[in-house]
Order: sequence, then structure tokens, then C-alpha cells
Amino acid sequence: MGVTQEAVIQYAHLLADRGLCTVDREVTTTYTLTEEGKQYARDGLPERQLLGSFGEKIPVQDLTRHPLARIGIGQMKRKGWVVVRGGIVEKTGNDAPGEDELALRDLSRGGPGLTELRRRNLVVEGQETRYRIAITPEGLECARRGLDMSEEVGSLTRDQIISGSWKEVKLRKYSLKAPPRKVYPGKIHPYQRVIGEMREILLCMGFTEIYGGIVQSAFWNFDALFQPQDHPAREMQDTFYLRETMPLPECYGRVRDMHLHGGDTSSTGWGGRWSREKAEQCVLRTHTTSLSIQHLAAHPKPPVKAFCINRVYRREAIDPTHLPEFEQLEGIVMDKGVTFRHLLGFLKEFYHRMGFPGVRFRPGYFPYTEPSVEPEVYVPSLGWVEMGGAGIFRQEVTAPFGITHPVLAWGLGVSRIAMLRLGLSDLRLLYKSDIGWVRETPSWLVGLDTRRGGE
Amino acid sequence: MPVIRLSYRYLEKMVGADRETILAHLPMIGSDIERIEEDHVDVEFFPCRPDLFSVEGVARAMRGFLGRETGLPRYSVMPSGIRFSVDPGLATIRPFLGSAVIRNVSLDEESILSLMGLQEALHWAVGRGRSKVAIGIHDLDAVIPPFHYIAAEKSRAFVPLDFDREMTLDEILDEHPKGRTYAHIVRDFPRYPLIVDARDRVLSFPPIINGELTRVTEGTKNILLDTTGTDERAVATAVDIICTAFADTGAAVQSVTIGERECPSLAPSERIVSSDDASALLGVSLDPKDLSLLLERMRYGAEPAGPSEVRVLVPCYRADIMHDWDIFEDAAIAYGYGNFDAEMPQTYTTGAPHPVMAIYAIAREIFTGLGFQEVLPFTLTNERVLAAKMQRPLKDSVLRVMHPISEEQTVVRTDLLPLLLEMCQLNRHRELPQRLFAVGDVVEGIQTLPRAACVSIHATADFSEAYAVADALARELAVAVSVEESKDPAFIPGRRGTLVCAGREVGVFGEVHPAVLNAWELEHPVAAVEVDLTAVPGYPGQPGTP
Repeated sequence: MGVTQEAVIQYAHLLADRGLCTVDREVTTTYTLTEEGKQYARDGLPERQLLGSFGEKIPVQDLTRHPLARIGIGQMKRKGWVVVRGGIVEKTGNDAPGEDELALRDLSRGGPGLTELRRRNLVVEGQETRYRIAITPEGLECARRGLDMSEEVGSLTRDQIISGSWKEVKLRKYSLKAPPRKVYPGKIHPYQRVIGEMREILLCMGFTEIYGGIVQSAFWNFDALFQPQDHPAREMQDTFYLRETMPLPECYGRVRDMHLHGGDTSSTGWGGRWSREKAEQCVLRTHTTSLSIQHLAAHPKPPVKAFCINRVYRREAIDPTHLPEFEQLEGIVMDKGVTFRHLLGFLKEFYHRMGFPGVRFRPGYFPYTEPSVEPEVYVPSLGWVEMGGAGIFRQEVTAPFGITHPVLAWGLGVSRIAMLRLGLSDLRLLYKSDIGWVRETPSWLVGLDTRRGGE
Repeated sequence: MPVIRLSYRYLEKMVGADRETILAHLPMIGSDIERIEEDHVDVEFFPCRPDLFSVEGVARAMRGFLGRETGLPRYSVMPSGIRFSVDPGLATIRPFLGSAVIRNVSLDEESILSLMGLQEALHWAVGRGRSKVAIGIHDLDAVIPPFHYIAAEKSRAFVPLDFDREMTLDEILDEHPKGRTYAHIVRDFPRYPLIVDARDRVLSFPPIINGELTRVTEGTKNILLDTTGTDERAVATAVDIICTAFADTGAAVQSVTIGERECPSLAPSERIVSSDDASALLGVSLDPKDLSLLLERMRYGAEPAGPSEVRVLVPCYRADIMHDWDIFEDAAIAYGYGNFDAEMPQTYTTGAPHPVMAIYAIAREIFTGLGFQEVLPFTLTNERVLAAKMQRPLKDSVLRVMHPISEEQTVVRTDLLPLLLEMCQLNRHRELPQRLFAVGDVVEGIQTLPRAACVSIHATADFSEAYAVADALARELAVAVSVEESKDPAFIPGRRGTLVCAGREVGVFGEVHPAVLNAWELEHPVAAVEVDLTAVPGYPGQPGTP
């Protein structure tokens, strides 16, 4: 027919896809003689030829002159056709044809003879694929109606579309059995998507977003939050200090007084000394609370609802659960008459929206809140998991900025939720990402059960 | 935070309740249970409550919380008649001294361990690693009063704990394990603090080490306590916490005369608080009687003192009570955090994204539309990444951290592009093309600035791809730019451009220089763009401080 075997098979498969024929593939093992094997099949194995070259006995030196002696002598001895005594090769008379010789004559015999021939590289094994193509009743029916011999085309052209000739062309059908080419869309990083969800929840709840500098003075990062200047969290081993300094705001004196003696509140203050130089020194912000307090200082009148999700810095060595930089979420609510009960209510609502139906509270400690609370959420695979901290800003924090109403505040490590959400156990993967993982993680995260936990 | 080991046997005896009850309530008085073992539990208490750093202190609080023994624990202190002098020369070294005598102690191995644990935790939480307060506990019967706290010559010698020979004070700082650990606190002073008895024998070299002479053993019957430090209040707190713990075991606390005053008094301080203020803070209605009952369970003395007043006696060991709200928090803990009827605040506000975050969101949208995948590289990096590998000079404005943790994180990033190339290097085994982008903050000087950048690595990445992306970004971000030849050595000469807006360079793009590709071990061409988002109309300017 002038077509290649491959083409026939390809067309047969196309017909089979349409149910017009069946294609059965049958693979059989075949054995063929090598060039050497063909020669021996004609002339006999080397040991047989050698055996025929002499009488009953012959000196070894004479026999070794025969061109097949190197293979033949050993084989004759091995097969017991001859014995060698005192330099003389002597026939034993036991020289009936072996299995190998029988197989050499007829490979289809198989058996140990064939194995021996393969071992001696006289026979090789191969595979033969046969296709049995049979027409089905549908195919017969189709053929009876007359074959349409018009050619199928691969692609639709502009000419065909505008000229109308598309009505005559036959477009080749594609098989759905072949996998599609994989394409990877441009996408938002999975972690950023988790952050985006939280941001959306807070925007929907009426919170204003705060953004601010990575570099903060110790004043805004610590002093304004009533962290005493000798507080362990302020020490060098926990905080990234910088050589740079920043001028203090005008109101700094009220913060200083609060530290020294409690200002105009019922507080005693920390006592001791307060150093302006320590307050002016810059740090990489250790929490976004430094931004919250500045937002409040700029907006001391109620109501204020604000949040921030951004990176914070701690002087921690990198390991699977610690990084020197990570994201923190922080929110504040300041209004007339808000109470501790409202703080708990707010936290419950927020965690419910984050996908955690089980929320409970226990006492906590944070230097700038009073009362303080540690919320816990229920994760079936892990049990109760501590999920951030919350409290009401101490009056020592709010009073210097003229804030007279309670400020409910809470914060949480975003990466912890993201790891639960994305099923990661190594924080580093969020930042030093495997592109393969980013490509394979679906953009729509609801499919991942928040309540399942992360292994 | 300090982890305290509480033995069940001792704790159950002191509380008068079984371990299940105690374990169930421990987190509710403010602690994290670290480990539950067969015979003990390890508990982390908050640093604001050093009075809970001993079994005695925990038991005292727990008895109140469970309602077994409420109200103010009262401690009587008789004078011991012992005097303790303070050398004025210590005023600039380590001026403050606290002391007490504790009689009829009965120590066994377990209580000595508990005592050492308390001392250690106090050194950490109140003493700030012994710099603010250091505590010494001595066998009183080994020495003869009066005692003297003096500024001594560095050449004085005595036998420190755990050694069998006399050492000079400087030798102790150099050779004794405790000396090496705490030498930095005193090293620079001309003289060192020392405590001696009537016969000039050394009890202690605070804050470093005690003398072998006054070692406390199971046979010790009477104890002399010293606390020295730089903060008067903290020095007194440490004495109060240790004395009350001993008193709870049945020992008798006696005061020591330091100058004109008797130390300690163990007397409560008084505060009048308003039940209306407490109700307003907590959101539950509490009258003076309700509030008093709650506070009595937290071991305050409390009684109604008016229509909305409560007279509160704060135990001497509660150094954390600085403000009325500290007392109200305790009322909330007694009330039970689980018993509050949580309610959403009614505060109505409308939300709004921050303009910089809104610009970031749009930049993300543009990049994903162009087929780029987002990555979130670190902001801490190093000079090799920012400069050497990029063939760029390090910017003068680069911000260095003072005490980096590793060579990998010495500076804050000034650009995003180097971090993106690092990301390509990490992902060399992944299929090409790779088109990656990042949006985020960089820091120059102390200013935080928003940036966006992208890279495209594949066999046919080139200048025209970079140019097309830069152009699309500028158009979509509504930044009116003109383009000029760039001199950025990270790119190939003749295949690089600068985006200029209002006379200012606001971006760079081009085909990355092969030497830079070599430095990052990349084997394919890279088209790259970085844009300064401060050029975007609507950028609000530097985040300021009020």
C-alpha cells in the first residue's frame, strides 16, 4: 500500500478510538542465531569439528595446531568426549550429540540446550510485536456505507474560516487519552494567598490597614509600649540593633515619666533610670505593635479599628521552626466602652472566620497589655494550639498619647496558620520556595481543610 | 521564661488537693505546662510572677484559686538583732542590699533543689542575669554577726564554693566557672563587692559566688539571706519572695537591721480600687463585694470600702502590681476566662487598604497577568548577594545589622533583583521557562521603600522580553516614563535600559550579564526588570511618625 507499518498502526488506533476496529497487541519472544551461531549450525560446534579431525588419539601438541583447538579441547573434556593422559588426547566413545547440538539444529526445541547456546553467545533473545487488527460490526457497517476518502486536516486556517471551505474539511479528532501539555499560570505565592485571605477578612470587618517602616526607634518599638529599658526582650541577643538613631517625638517626656513613676495614672512606673540614648537607637521592628501605637498616637479619638500584616525581625538562628524574619498580624480596636468581654468576642469571631470553630482562652502575659489573654484554637490532629496573644493596652501605654478609651489589641504569627493551611512543616519553604511546589499548589485554598492540621 | 519543676508529692501536700485538680487549674492561673512526668510537672510561669517560681508560691496561689485558703497570707517578722552595714564606697558599684534571717528551716535534698531552682529563676526574671539583683543563701551558724557589705580590694582572697583553695577575686573571675560567666558585671569597677562577717571572713562575692564557708547543707538550721543589686525595688522583691516561700514551709523569718531600717517587713501595700472601673474594663458588672471575693481568691486582702470602692492589700511578693488594672486582671482570672460571655464590639467603621499595599496588590495582578509566579524572598541578605555576584558596587545607603546571626544575613536588601536570581539558582532543577516576580520593601538608610521586580529565565530570554515587560509594567502602573541607556553593570552593555520619570531613575531592565549568570550558576539567559514603586501616582510618601 506504500505506507509504513507505523502509519498503519497509528490509523488503526484512530479507528479503534471510534470503535470501528479492534487492535490487539501481542508480544512474543524470539531467538535468533548470531553470525557465529549460524556458522556452527552449518559446520557443527567447534568441539564436534575438532573431534572429527583426528582418530582415536593424538598428542596434545599436534591437536593444538588446529584453529578450533582453543575452544574445542576444553569443551570436549568438559563434555567427557575425550580424556587427556600423559600429553595424549584419547577419545572415550561417549560422543552422542548433546542438548545444545540438538537445539542448534532446531531453536524451537528450547530447553537447557538453548540456554547453553545463549550463554555461549550463539543465540540472542529478541521481542516481536504483532498487531492483530480486526474490523468490528460498526466498522463493517461503516465500510458498507462507503468510505469517505477525503483527507483529514490538522488545523483550521483563516482561509477556511472566511471562505467557508471549513464546511468541506474534516478536522482531525484528538484523543483525550494522551495527557495535555502542562502549563503553569502566573500566580500569587500560596503564602501570600493565605495572607491575602486574612487581610480580606479584616478589611471586610471594617479595619483600616497600617503600613510602616522596617526600621524603628527603640522608643516606638519598646518604650512607647512600656517595655522597661532593661527588659530581657530588649537585649541584644533577641533584637537586631542598628548603629543609626532616630529623633524622639515631642511627646517623649510623657513616656519617660510613665516609665519613671507612672505619670498621671494609678501606676507606679518601673522606677530606676530612663535613658534617652537607648530610646533613640534604631532596631529592625520586632513586632508590628510599634506601628499600631504610632497609628493610635496619630488617631487618639475613637473609634479606631486598624490592622497590619507585615514582616517583623527577631535575632533567631534559622531552623525549620525559627526564622529571623516572619510575618505578624496585628489588630487594634479602640472605642468608648469596649471591654475585655468584647476582646474575647472579637477574637472568637476572627478565628471563626479564619476557619477555626473551636476557640478558648487562658491567661497570658505581655508587657504592654493588661488583662492579657492567650487564645487557643482546636486543630483535630494537634489538639488545642496556642494562636497568638491578645489583651487591652495598659494605661501606661495609652495615656502618654492622650488615648482615653480602652484599646483591644491582638496579634498572631501568620506563618503558623499558613503552615497548617499549606501542610508545611518547614517555615523556610515559605521564603526559599521550591518553584515546583508553588506550581503544584492550587490557588484556591478552600480545598485544603484548615482543620486538618499540617504534617 | 523560667521553667519550674514541681514535684507532685510536695505540691499535693502543700495545696491539699490531688494532682489532677492541680494540673487542670495550673494553666488557668497563668502558666504553660511544658512536660507532665511520672513524679513531677515542668511548668513555665510568666516572668511577671516570680512569686510562682517555687512549689511554695504555686501552692499558695493554688490554695486561693481552689478556694481552700483565701485572702491575704499574713507573715510575722521578729527582729533578729543582727546588723548589716553597707560601705558607702559601693554607691557607684552595687549600692543596694537586702537581707533576712530565716530560722528553724528543715532542708532535705528535695527542698534544697527547689530552693536552688527558685534562686536561679529569680536571678533570671528579677535579677536580669544577676546584674540587677543577685541572691546569696548562707548557713548563719557558720559565721558571726554583724555583717558588712564592703567594696573590697581585688587582691582579697577566699575559698569560693566548689573549690578547695583560696583564690583572689580576680582569679575567681578568670578561673571559677561562675566567675567567667558573670565577670562582665563587675570587671570594670576599681573595687569589687564583698560580704564579710565580724571576723572579716568572706561569706560572698556578689554577684559572682558564695564562699565555701557558709555552704548550705541538709544539716543547715538557720539561714542568712543576702540580696545585692542596682535596683532597690528589685532587691527588696527578691527578699520578699524567698522569705515568704520559707515562711510557708513553717520557718521563722526575722529581720536584719541595715543602716536605720529593718529588712524585710513582708507587709502588704494598700490600694483603693474602684469596682466601677473594674466592671468597665472587664465588661461584667461587679459590686465591691463581688470584686472583693474574687480578689481574696487571688490572695489579696480585699474588703468593700464604699459604694464602689474596695480596699485592697497587695501581698509583698506581688512586685508586678503597678496599676489598678493589674489587680483587675487577677479578678478576671478568678472569674475564669472561660466564664466571660464573649461579645462582638458594636464599633462601626469602614475598612480601607493602605495605599502602598494597594499598589503591591496591583503590581501582583499585573505580573501574574504577564505569566509570572510570585516568590517571597527574605529581606535580610548579605553583600555578596547584593553586590559581588551582581557586579554592582554596594550602595552607601545599605543598612547593616550590628550583631548578625550569620554571614548570610548581615544587611537589609536594597534591591529585589539579586534575591530573584538567588531564587533561580535554588530552582535550577525545575523546568524552564521560569518567570518569577517579587513585590516588597527594601531599605535604604533607614527608609523603607516599595519595589517590584521580575526575572525570566529560558533559552530565548533576551533584552526585548525585558523591555516589553518594563513597558507593560510602567503603562499598567500609570507611571509616565522615558527610557535611557543604563550603565548598570549587572546587565549586558547595549542590552540594558533605565526608566526615568520626572527626571528621576525609577527602574532598570535588560538582559543579565553573563558574568552575573556565571556567579549565580545559571545556564540560560535572563531578562530582568526592577521598578521603584514610589513613582506610582498615589504613593503616599515615607511612612512618617506622629
